[in-house]
Amino acid sequence: MKELDLLKKDWQKSDNSFAQVSENDIYKMIHRKSSSIVKWILIFSILEVLLWTFLSLFSNIDNYLKEINHIELILYFDIFNYVNYAIIIVFIYLFYKNYVVISATTSTKKLMQDILKTRRTVQYYVWYNLGMVLLSCIIAFTIAFVYNPEMELVKDKIAANNIAMLITIGFLLLTSILFIGLFWLFYKVVYGTLLRRLYANYKELKKIDL
Amino acid sequence: MSDSLEHSFVKQLRENQNIIHKICRLYTNDDDAHKDLFQEITIQLWKAFPKFRGDSKFSTWAYRVALNTAITLYRKTKRSINTVEFEGRQHFLNDVEYDYEEEEKLKLMYKAVYQLNDIEKALIFMYLEDKDYHEISETLGISEVNARVKMNRIKGKLKKILNPLGI
Repeated sequence: MKELDLLKKDWQKSDNSFAQVSENDIYKMIHRKSSSIVKWILIFSILEVLLWTFLSLFSNIDNYLKEINHIELILYFDIFNYVNYAIIIVFIYLFYKNYVVISATTSTKKLMQDILKTRRTVQYYVWYNLGMVLLSCIIAFTIAFVYNPEMELVKDKIAANNIAMLITIGFLLLTSILFIGLFWLFYKVVYGTLLRRLYANYKELKKIDL
Repeated sequence: MSDSLEHSFVKQLRENQNIIHKICRLYTNDDDAHKDLFQEITIQLWKAFPKFRGDSKFSTWAYRVALNTAITLYRKTKRSINTVEFEGRQHFLNDVEYDYEEEEKLKLMYKAVYQLNDIEKALIFMYLEDKDYHEISETLGISEVNARVKMNRIKGKLKKILNPLGI
């Protein structure tokens, strides 16, 4: 194609057309902070892990169990908590491992895969925590229904009325769906904006290699 | 990091900065964005520099990091519009070769190149820099055959943009 040859010739001559950056400027530049998406992902990830770890550390059910006089259940919750800590540590290790692999010197495709993998680790962590929140809710409701004497009255009412039962279950379901929906939306907005271009380019690269 | 490492980096980058400028020109639309991307590339290069062994040329190593930064790592601070004011861009043929028709063609060519997506721009960039398909495929992480196929498609696409009626 004749035009491409013309373009190539022009392109290779274009070296003199750029305002040259001095050594002094380069010194200054390398001491500035990067604003790459990897850095943003790191910041968001640390915030998310901190938030969820904080929430899981302080959602203390012990007092509640004491209140309703069922201290024997505390042991189960302690085991549950230790398992939870172990999982947090595994997640942080996996995140760190994925994060340090990211390098701008690999191929474009590998770089994108590494970034997405790091991102996904945090996503799994958040889904795990959300699952835990739901599980805790279910357990808490069950305990409340089975063990809490104050619930007896409510239980009787619900048992006597099928519609009330349906409404209760429906309400719980709706709250859960709303809760998950909000998270999904938050994710779409925050990471959607940050990663839109990366996803598009990654898709394009994969399409080439089909 | 030691001062000598820093010094060696700064010197080599200054000598090879045009390759970075070319990538910045391809991926940005105005001077501010150009400078912004140049800076991010410089930071990424500096971060990766301790691993640069010197078994390839600095420029070869640098353009790969620069492309990766432009395509993947760089977060545009402003939303960019995909049209570029070309009238202001100077052409680089010198006076002896000046040819009105060629200049018009070049303008159209640059305009067409700017309409390509990020990955296609990377391919065209390497083509214009005379990189072989082995290097292109390694840089992008795709197979050599597919790099070749894609390049032919891009050429076709450019042809179509330049001559939409196919006359």
